[in-house]
Amino acid sequence: MLNSRRRPLGLALAGLALAGTVAGCSNAKGSSDGGSSSGDQQFTFWDPYPQFDGSSDWVKLVSSCGKDAGATIKRTGYDTSDLANKALLAGQQGSSPDIIVIDNPVISTLADAGVLTSADELKLDTSAFAENITAAGVVDGKTYGVPIGANTLALYYNADLLKKAGVDPASVTSWETLNAALAKVKAARGKGITFSGIGTEEGSFQFLPWFWGSGADLKDLASADGVSAVNLWADWLKKGYAPNSVINNTQTTAWQEFATGKFGFVENGTWQMGNAAKLGFKYGVISIPGKDGGAAPAPTGGEFVSAPVQKDAGRYATTTKIIDCLTNPGNLLKTDTTLSYIAPIADVQQQQVTEDPKLAPWVKAVGDAKGRTSDNLGTNYPIISEQMWGAFQNAMSGSASAESAMKTAQEAAASKVK
Amino acid sequence: MSIRTADRTSRVDTRVSTREERPPRYRRLLGWAYLVPVLVYLIAFYAYPLYRNVELSLRDYTVRSFVSGDARFIGLDNFREVFSSPTFASAIIHTAIFTFVSIAFQYVIGLALAVFYNQNFRLSGTLRALFLVPWLLPLIVSASTWSWLLNSESGVVNAALEAFGLPQINWLTSPTWSLIAVIIANIWIGIPFNLVILHSGLQNIPDELFEASALDGADAWRTFRHVTFPLLKPVSAITLLLGFVYTLKVFDIIWIMTRGGPGASSTTLSTWSYQLGFGSLLPHFGPGAAVGNILIIVALVFGLLYIRYENAQAKR
Amino acid sequence: MNRALKTVVGVVLTAVMLFPVYWMFNVSLTGTSDMRRDPPYLFPLHPTFTGYQAVLRDQMPYLGTSLAIGLGTVVLTLLVAAPAGYSLAKLRPLGGQPLTFILLIAQMIPGIIMAMGFYAIFLSAGIINTWWGLVIADSTLAVPFAVLIFTAFMSGIPDELISAAKIDGAGSWRTFLHIVLPISRNPIVTVSLFAFLWAWSDFIFASTLNSGGTMQPITLGIYKYIGNNNQEWNSIMATAVVASIPAAFLLVVAQRYVAAGVTAGAVKD
Repeated sequence: MLNSRRRPLGLALAGLALAGTVAGCSNAKGSSDGGSSSGDQQFTFWDPYPQFDGSSDWVKLVSSCGKDAGATIKRTGYDTSDLANKALLAGQQGSSPDIIVIDNPVISTLADAGVLTSADELKLDTSAFAENITAAGVVDGKTYGVPIGANTLALYYNADLLKKAGVDPASVTSWETLNAALAKVKAARGKGITFSGIGTEEGSFQFLPWFWGSGADLKDLASADGVSAVNLWADWLKKGYAPNSVINNTQTTAWQEFATGKFGFVENGTWQMGNAAKLGFKYGVISIPGKDGGAAPAPTGGEFVSAPVQKDAGRYATTTKIIDCLTNPGNLLKTDTTLSYIAPIADVQQQQVTEDPKLAPWVKAVGDAKGRTSDNLGTNYPIISEQMWGAFQNAMSGSASAESAMKTAQEAAASKVK
Repeated sequence: MSIRTADRTSRVDTRVSTREERPPRYRRLLGWAYLVPVLVYLIAFYAYPLYRNVELSLRDYTVRSFVSGDARFIGLDNFREVFSSPTFASAIIHTAIFTFVSIAFQYVIGLALAVFYNQNFRLSGTLRALFLVPWLLPLIVSASTWSWLLNSESGVVNAALEAFGLPQINWLTSPTWSLIAVIIANIWIGIPFNLVILHSGLQNIPDELFEASALDGADAWRTFRHVTFPLLKPVSAITLLLGFVYTLKVFDIIWIMTRGGPGASSTTLSTWSYQLGFGSLLPHFGPGAAVGNILIIVALVFGLLYIRYENAQAKR
Repeated sequence: MNRALKTVVGVVLTAVMLFPVYWMFNVSLTGTSDMRRDPPYLFPLHPTFTGYQAVLRDQMPYLGTSLAIGLGTVVLTLLVAAPAGYSLAKLRPLGGQPLTFILLIAQMIPGIIMAMGFYAIFLSAGIINTWWGLVIADSTLAVPFAVLIFTAFMSGIPDELISAAKIDGAGSWRTFLHIVLPISRNPIVTVSLFAFLWAWSDFIFASTLNSGGTMQPITLGIYKYIGNNNQEWNSIMATAVVASIPAAFLLVVAQRYVAAGVTAGAVKD
């Protein structure tokens, strides 16, 4: 009787010891990193790139910037949707990292929480950076970080499919011409356009070019222009120009649909350039058209580098050095090429285009782009965004008309913003 | 009759009874010695987070006051905000539907499978073990796989429907079907739990009872109704109660599949709590915690009902 | 129904239940251009092995850590819960019933709330970002459930057996070790199974408490393929497939103990 009880327990303990040894010996490369040299101070560094481990260019760059500044960097990569909450939690517990790289619309939230130091306190020079990109990190006139790179949205098109359908991509310059092109693609037995209309910030991100391109302003969702943008999307679904799956699509899923070769257009971003090269058909990129012509302003994606508040203000000197190192023009070219971002400094942008001409339409798009939290929307933006995505979700799924959906959204947003 | 006697001796009593034969005082104090680890657990790991959650719901937490820790006490304002929100009614209704339908199907299917696999045929053990494989998968994988299966355009379920000439259903993107889609996925995830516990309960029924029943001339269904099911009542009760508690908490599946949408068509109290707290770029901890506490209160009520049921059973 | 037919039905039922798992396997071998194909391929007709290459290259340490955490959780849960179940079932201390009720309620606290609370505790105790700290956190998923299960099953052990041991001069601890535990093989295996499975698939605790650690479980390892804008689904699914294999093996082996426990757990009058 004793044996039968001991055996499973013994087995478990043996397994435990074995597993522990295996895990310990094959020392996890993990997504955290730290080289050490005695005498250096240890600085913590958080970023939203868990896909990069110790052997990647990004981590090597971070470590070397640290060494140049006289610090050993302990770097951890987190899931981006989680990083804001972790930053808040760490701020509450007084264990904030020294440097954080985080999605640009979150900067105003963290600044509002008092977690970040301003560029003035850090004595950081932000004049070289393009204004429309830096604007996302400006709260009440103070800058709370510098952009590390920008990306934005444009329309990729399937050149082969459009040719078959008799559509000239250069003719797509307004909503009208876009709809005409979609009709032609559908007539040629293709599927029109796909995008991400999911009920998260990703969906809002994809909706904004159409919203801003109609002339609407985030401070008034229920304007006629804003409603027309929602109607654009809802009509696409009704007419069959866009598949029903867009209601739940992430940007990755939308890209996968495009990659099947059946779609004429996909609204997607700079980061897909690497994948675009692997497509089984010829493709091209055009700016997202505004309602009445011209390029629509698209929202800026991309992260900012920022310095959370530390108890020991003496650390800021080294922190500033590290941030300078990461974002100086020389290193920016390397960083942004690795991350598939457009540089936030005009000169470096030119260098990027020289090296890779395919980036030209993207540089233009980034030049036309706008920060979501700009216009001093700051922490009001997430509130408005949440209502906005609820509205277009309801309109696309047929539970409400575009007008009533946006009206409800505007009322809810207005009651909650500061 | 033999069945009656068996009923009393091998009934699994989940209630801690205070019957005639009270153990001596020393014994009872000694009992607490065994409970020390669990008590430490409860205080450190449950009481503290629960206290934090109640506190979060009673104060006005902005991101700034969350970080600095000096939020204003506002009493039940967060709860008032939650009750008057248009989403509240939908969340309650959806939670009720989601929970009761899921549990009903999970339990019935789990029970049927447990009885079926309890028989000793070739591979019955291995096949039953394989039923647990879904639990090995991180929820992000299982939920994503179901999203894949139920995709309006490229999902295999719609492809099958099309092959049979049936209309395609927008499982995840239609307000009518989104709740049904997440219920289906949740039933799938819950079956192994019911299967394992009910099977364990079945193992505890001595073979002699089944033999006696067969000798009495009862067929499979009668044996089930008069022998198996009554003897499984205590185990069933705890399975259903735990299933209820766990289903109330279900969040990952719904969140990954539909985010509670479109609109609020598949929002339950659990997803709403997360959405308020962490769902947008601006966390709204107060109302999120308030909804979380409402959930806990609902579970408390059902827990009390269970205890009353148990007491009534013991008195019989 | 004869036995062969039962086996066939059994196989069909299991196959239906595991179809989504098969689909996961299917996706792991699918290339990007076929992922959203309408209608989808039932079999990976143009397989790509990049997912598996990525997994074998990156994920092995994570698997080892997950295994260690899973087994550690099992051991800790059994150590804490089995004596508690024995006490509540047999020693019946005063206030035992409220305690059972509290254990029930304890399971209601949403995971994210627990995780946020733990963050503060673990940070001050200095055990944040350790794999064995995660063992403690993951065991909180299983302990209340385990205590309830042990209490339930141990209540069914006839008092005569306990009194017999007492007459032989055994104290409560010896009775526990030599009489109660050996009979309790069923609940021990049941509890172990669930403790392992819950620890294996836990994400919220791992993410909050061990994101910065050097030894991370597989649920975090998967995030290597979930970038901030791009997700590599075939790698994600391949990770899940590879992660399931050793655990599935453990499951099949463990179920033998439940089956063999029919006579061991039976109660003779």
